[in-house]
Amino acid sequence: MWLPFLGLVLGLALGLLTNIQIPSIYENYLSIAVLAALDTLFGGIRAQLQHVYDDKVFVSGFFFNIVLAAGLAFLGVNLGVDLYLAAIFAFGVRLFQNIAIIRRILLTRLDEKRHNKKKTSIE
Amino acid sequence: MRLGGAILKKNMYTRITIVLFIIGLMIAVQYNTIQKPAERDTRDIWAIREELAEEKKRHSTLLADIRSLNEVVGRYEQSEKTNLQGVLNETVNRLKQQAGLTDITGPGVILRVEPAPELVAMGYEIKEISPDLLTQLLNELYKYNAASVAIDGNRIVHTSAIRDINGKTTVNSVALSSPPFEIYVGTTTFKAAQKMYNSIQASTFIDSFYLDNFNLVIEEPTELVTIPAYDQPLTNDYLTEVKKGE
Repeated sequence: MWLPFLGLVLGLALGLLTNIQIPSIYENYLSIAVLAALDTLFGGIRAQLQHVYDDKVFVSGFFFNIVLAAGLAFLGVNLGVDLYLAAIFAFGVRLFQNIAIIRRILLTRLDEKRHNKKKTSIE
Repeated sequence: MRLGGAILKKNMYTRITIVLFIIGLMIAVQYNTIQKPAERDTRDIWAIREELAEEKKRHSTLLADIRSLNEVVGRYEQSEKTNLQGVLNETVNRLKQQAGLTDITGPGVILRVEPAPELVAMGYEIKEISPDLLTQLLNELYKYNAASVAIDGNRIVHTSAIRDINGKTTVNSVALSSPPFEIYVGTTTFKAAQKMYNSIQASTFIDSFYLDNFNLVIEEPTELVTIPAYDQPLTNDYLTEVKKGE
């Protein structure tokens, strides 16, 4: 269970300690990629809670979303349309939705647990 | 079945860990990139222009250096077969000349420091010339593009010291003869010598010397001034010779 968090911390530490910077032209791409990655991550957590988690979907979604988002931003830059806004919008909405669903599932579970406890104590 | 499930789960965790690692890395890089301009540039356009001018100056001196070095390289290449030793000797001589190890004959100005006769007649005591005054004069001479200077026959090189030793003013640790003595100043061109002559005439040095009871006599620039070589061994504390094959 703690292994994924270790990965996150390791990634953060490596990035902060090595002080890697990317040219500011590519800032947009990276920001959108980060957003896509976060969206996939929360999607994965939601799927796990709903018992529909699939490893393949998660990993492929992660990379595919990042590439798609960056590609969309690139296309937008070349066409003169801020297409990356579309990606930010889509990912942002999904991020909120996913987090909302996670919250509800957790709340329901908490309620159920409490209910069960009460039931057992009454019996 | 259970074993298969465990392996599958382990596999899953590894993948999620890799994905999270990538996410962490991306977030950190993004954070670094956003935080980059830690110090805001608050210079106005004049400050920037000044800096630009300074850099331009450096640029042009570097270009001049490159050109002169290229010339040397060209000469080396030209005479590689015929006369390598000659070119090397030439370089050595040029470096020696720069360091002040050779006699130099060329255009220049002669300054004479002598006790003011009217003050001598009045019975003033003529003391040693002060090292500070000489140092100041020397700095001023170099400011007016002096190429080589000799004070009372002592050539000034980069390690020369003008100082007071037991009440005696010395140059290169050699005591100056009591005035009058002469300061030879060599310049690169006769025009530069004329300019220097005018500059010293206009400066306050004549007055400064008179305050110390000396007359600073500046002679007309001449085409031929011979400045003697530095005659003491040059000590070198930091540079060492590279042995062959190292």
